[in-house]
Amino acid sequence: MIDVTLTLNGTPRTVSVEPRETLSDLVRNRCDMTGTHVGCDHGACGACTVHLDGMPVRSCIVLAATCDGREVRTIEATRKDETFGVIRRHFHEKHALQCGFCTLGMLMMAADIIARHPTPSEDQIRNALSGQVCRCTGYMGIVAAIASAAEELRGA
Amino acid sequence: MHSETADRWIGKPLLRKEDARHLLGASQFVADLRLPHMQDVAFVRSASAHGRILSIDAGGAEPGTVWTLADLPTIHPLFAGPELGTFRNAVYPPLADGKVLFAGQPVAMCLGANRALAEDVASAVWVDVEELPPVIDAVNALAKGAARLHDDWPDNGFIHSVITGGDIASVADAPVRMRRRFKMNRQAANPLETRGVVAYRDHRTDELVVYTSTQGPHVMRHGLSIALGIPEHRLRVVAVDVGGGFGGKNRLMPEEIAMAALALSVDHPVRWIEDRNEHLIASVHAREHHYDLTVLAERDGTILGIEGSIHVDAGAYALWPSGPFMETSMAARNLPGSYRIQHLNIDTHTVATNKAPLGPYRGVARPGACFAIERLVDELAHELGIDPVEIRHRNLVGPTEMPYRTGGGLRLDNGDYPTALDKAVAMIDLPAVRARQAAGEPDGTRIGVGFACYTEQSGHGTVEWVKRKSRVVPGYETATIRMMPDGSAQVLVAIQSHGQGLETSLAQIAADGLGLTPAQIVVRHGDTSISPFGFGTFASRSIVFCGGAVTKAAAALAEKIRAVAAHLLQTTPDLITLRDGAAHGPQGSIPIPEIARAANIRPEALPEGMAPGLEATATYEPPESGGVFSYGVHAVVVAAHPETGVTRILDYVVVEDCGNLINPMIVDGQIIGGVAQGIGTALYEEIPYDETGQPIATTWGDYLMPCAPEIPSFRIGHMVTPATSTEHGVKGMGEGGAIAPPAAIANALTDAFRDIGAKFCETPMTPRRVSDAVALARGEE
Ligand code: FES
Ligand code: FES
Repeated sequence: MIDVTLTLNGTPRTVSVEPRETLSDLVRNRCDMTGTHVGCDHGACGACTVHLDGMPVRSCIVLAATCDGREVRTIEATRKDETFGVIRRHFHEKHALQCGFCTLGMLMMAADIIARHPTPSEDQIRNALSGQVCRCTGYMGIVAAIASAAEELRGA
Repeated sequence: MHSETADRWIGKPLLRKEDARHLLGASQFVADLRLPHMQDVAFVRSASAHGRILSIDAGGAEPGTVWTLADLPTIHPLFAGPELGTFRNAVYPPLADGKVLFAGQPVAMCLGANRALAEDVASAVWVDVEELPPVIDAVNALAKGAARLHDDWPDNGFIHSVITGGDIASVADAPVRMRRRFKMNRQAANPLETRGVVAYRDHRTDELVVYTSTQGPHVMRHGLSIALGIPEHRLRVVAVDVGGGFGGKNRLMPEEIAMAALALSVDHPVRWIEDRNEHLIASVHAREHHYDLTVLAERDGTILGIEGSIHVDAGAYALWPSGPFMETSMAARNLPGSYRIQHLNIDTHTVATNKAPLGPYRGVARPGACFAIERLVDELAHELGIDPVEIRHRNLVGPTEMPYRTGGGLRLDNGDYPTALDKAVAMIDLPAVRARQAAGEPDGTRIGVGFACYTEQSGHGTVEWVKRKSRVVPGYETATIRMMPDGSAQVLVAIQSHGQGLETSLAQIAADGLGLTPAQIVVRHGDTSISPFGFGTFASRSIVFCGGAVTKAAAALAEKIRAVAAHLLQTTPDLITLRDGAAHGPQGSIPIPEIARAANIRPEALPEGMAPGLEATATYEPPESGGVFSYGVHAVVVAAHPETGVTRILDYVVVEDCGNLINPMIVDGQIIGGVAQGIGTALYEEIPYDETGQPIATTWGDYLMPCAPEIPSFRIGHMVTPATSTEHGVKGMGEGGAIAPPAAIANALTDAFRDIGAKFCETPMTPRRVSDAVALARGEE
């Protein structure tokens, strides 16, 4: 076992993990934060997206041991965040979720897209989502929600 | 029935009640359950496509960590498939029983403190298999001398059946005969949440509790009860949040039975979460139809009949309860599609192969049937020099001919198919597409436009399922509505909402029935311990069946509320209206909470002789057992490159009629999601097998899931022809979107390369298949 000391959702913690464990294992199984979903476990769906030092990553293909000294933010930390609140509201209003399994990864990615592209075009949004699978919605609501959330946040 | 509760919520695009928990990351899927002392399971799966198991060596594992079939309590065979003497049974053992019939079949299960440790145990288990020749092709599988999967069968056919309508001999001398072959390849449902099971014995209630990601907990409980030999009152099946199903979670799978049996044998909870590799090789597979069809027609394009054969590659076993024959018979019976085709003669073969067993996936059989008929119609149009839109108009069933019995025996209830086609043609702006096509693209890509019409049977009841010889006849649905002393209400139903938004739309229905707001109503589902028996969510049935049951239960409850109100207001029940949270009489009103309080905790306020309590249960079966038919037309414009074969969708129009809408926002969401999946079938998704029977697509690196860049924005045109037989005039619609895209896109590609006559007869139309078709048409090697 390896001790990993990281900042998880603003709180410093030390977690013992096996060398083969991934960041999604750490978050879900060692820390019981189940808002990070695992859809493929091989880096191909984006359901497990978290922010690592402020960058979106697929936590299922990041080894937990490499997160020592780093800062991890999962969906649980965003519940009271105002920006996320706006994005959530637009997801709700634009029917951007059906089963909800992809949604948390989509939200984590949406926040990053909006941060990078304050005025994202539809193409920019679609391309930035190219690694996020949603099996239910056909993406239209998700793309619309990100565009309208960006617009509102731009005005804010 | 009283009509004084005007629709206030039905028909409104109410935002979904279920969103809040999902958006917070506070939803609960099976993998999110945390139970003390729970251990994880990893399955040992067959590496061979076909073979006899000589031995299973536990690899020095600790006692009690490796479980084979012999180690589990006796499991009774679950006969699956139609109740037909001519259907050969192939019971799917929960863990391999002497033979393995496909690569990925569960052979043993291993326990560990977490999944990784369980996989360590599994990787040390050695299964010694004497290899047998694999059977990979459904057509060749029936040839004399082909290796056989099931020793007691004379060949590899589950069933051979001839599906007929009209009299094909009467049109044998048709002036036009045109033969074509089509293939829709194998894929999997691929909900983003894989399957998963958590099972344990609850000693307090003396129940075996099985959490499983399923679309129909009550039916699964029944199957588990038969398999395990324990009574249903000692089994509780719960589907918590389910991350999509699309049909793929509507069969009782071997892992579910094995997990339940294991939970009976150990004294701690056990958990198995399917990984994506397992999903791709051993979950419910779908499609894989071979069509060899001849269309018989007049020279003016009037289609008289279709004859030929369908082979459905059904995989190794029959999945409980329905088995694979429904796929085959539905494919044949749906071949006439939306058209006036009265003569049908289809030789159907449901064939066992060394692949994962076939089961339902959004659209069940109809994407294949639609692909076949809509491609045939276009091919016939080209052959006869008729415009594809015009030939459709010559054959579409018209509104005045309805209800219309098709050559496949389906009763198309109502609608206006020709107007839907015209609307799609107008929305896609055909002249503009033709102009762009004629101008040509600077980079050499070709523009093509394609159309496909479809129908979607839904809400079919007892008679239809009996006709299909179904072992379980999902002919009704049940709902209980319980009003609490404060006037809020629970709707308890046996369906399972896994993205369809039924927690919202059923609340809208109940709200109108009771004069409440949806916020005063909670819909609970997916748990055998909270609702009466019902069948679950599949076959686009929930809004018709369960919506109908909720309507009936609300009406029964409203009647009692009115009776109490009439007593309290000194009037008669027929003069009472329920609206805005109150009962209104001619001379005054009384809030519903006051009635609820009286009925529940102040029985002395009730009229003499009235039983206390406010609860009603109703079952509902639509009176038209053959179902009601949603329908529509898809129109698509593609740009395809002749050398790279890459196809892009430039525009996609859906014209759709599913009767009245309970929640238009949810309906649009279902359409869009369905079309996106249909685009996956058309262009990307495939599970091929190599000649040794190994599946080639084992990760989402090889199995291409459409993402946002591949899926366009859609434009939807609604038409509304209310169903005459269902409550609120609704028709089911969840599957429809997925039916037409392969046909529409193939027709568009054919249109794009019309000048050279390239043929697009097989899905998915990958870059390779497209560029090959172009090269073949150009006479290149
Ligand atoms: S679960 Fe990590 S990318 Fe799919
Ligand atoms: S909402 Fe189901 S996967 Fe996106």
